[in-house]
Amino acid sequence: MRHSKALTLTILTLMLWPNSAAAHHSFAPVYDGSRMITVTGVVTQFRFVNPHAMMLMDVTDESGKAVKWTVESAGSLNLSEVGWTADSIKAKERVTVTGNPTHTGSQRMFFRKLVRSDGSELLNSELQRTKDIEEERLQRQRARSQQK
Amino acid sequence: MVTNIQCGRLRLALLAILLLVAIPSTATQQLRSDFEGMWSDPPHTAIGEFCFAWCTDAGIDYLNKLLDDPANDARPVRDLMAQATKYQVDVYIKSVLTSEALKAYPLDPADDPAFLRCEPIGGARQIFVRHQLDIRRRGNDRLEFHYGEWDATRTIYMDGRKRPLDQPASPLGYSLGHWEGDTLVIETSGFTANRLEAAIAVHSDQLRIVERYTRSRDGKTLMLTATMEDPKILRAPLVFKKIWGWSPASRIAPYKDCQLPTEILKGTNRP
Repeated sequence: MRHSKALTLTILTLMLWPNSAAAHHSFAPVYDGSRMITVTGVVTQFRFVNPHAMMLMDVTDESGKAVKWTVESAGSLNLSEVGWTADSIKAKERVTVTGNPTHTGSQRMFFRKLVRSDGSELLNSELQRTKDIEEERLQRQRARSQQK
Repeated sequence: MVTNIQCGRLRLALLAILLLVAIPSTATQQLRSDFEGMWSDPPHTAIGEFCFAWCTDAGIDYLNKLLDDPANDARPVRDLMAQATKYQVDVYIKSVLTSEALKAYPLDPADDPAFLRCEPIGGARQIFVRHQLDIRRRGNDRLEFHYGEWDATRTIYMDGRKRPLDQPASPLGYSLGHWEGDTLVIETSGFTANRLEAAIAVHSDQLRIVERYTRSRDGKTLMLTATMEDPKILRAPLVFKKIWGWSPASRIAPYKDCQLPTEILKGTNRP
């Protein structure tokens, strides 16, 4: 198991956005929105369901012991709107996942970002939309500059 | 040979037929198809995202000011949204709560029955859920609102009826609709006590919501202004807004895998 210290600015700012992860279910009583962790392992199951999708992983910890991890994310109603399908994550894939840990430190997290072994990334819906929103904001800034 | 009397009767009959064809019934008039179809996520803009679930005029104005201030140009947009969310809570929402509601504000998310027991949410939250909303005409006298979240369906009666006196209260209430120009107006009452959106308070069975839906000129967005009144928890009407985007390709998927929480930390609503 590997815990990442490096947090991207986008993920950090997303943590400040109170409505994102808790759209239909309470996020705060289970997950710590102020911290991020990263684990690397092999996907054993991905369930593209509602209200929350679930990914199960086998992760090898520092002592060489296999540990089961559960990665919870927004459900298919949410993720399908940004292009996810039931095949977006496949069993036996080796992936590195970043997300919010639980308050108790259990082997569970709330999904933010996944990196496959080929380097390709899968972002949660909020992060995907943030790219478009920042672009719209840049256009707004340009329009403001032109008005001056 | 046709007499004058027969001719007059024939004209009257023809006139009656013409009137029946030209003037639709009240129910048909009310069952316009303006909003029919699938709506889902709002445009990927700062205001669209801000009003994805709910927002207020105070919050929108404040966010626009933040976005228009060059001093904020280097700040992440979600940082500005979080600031605007806090502003609309502190300046607007708290100002309309009764002193009793303020004492309990905000409610602990760990006590939310939807989280604790997978209980479907009530109408005061259902109308603001994110993602899919499928609007369909049903029969000659009603509209059906089908939401992806919680797979909930509301019936909106459009035939001018009144709420039956013996109609029992229910989580989604009893909804009566009519058109005012191009605005669909829905008045809902008869709720059982339940949570308001954003853990604001538990509303009483006296909650009354007036929803006003309008479609943008380009047809791409649907906007809701919902006015909520409840003398038990609100000193003044609480007005929320929401935006959907036209999304004919979206589909509502089954909502049947709600899992009960296995670990809970209470009090995360308190500093």
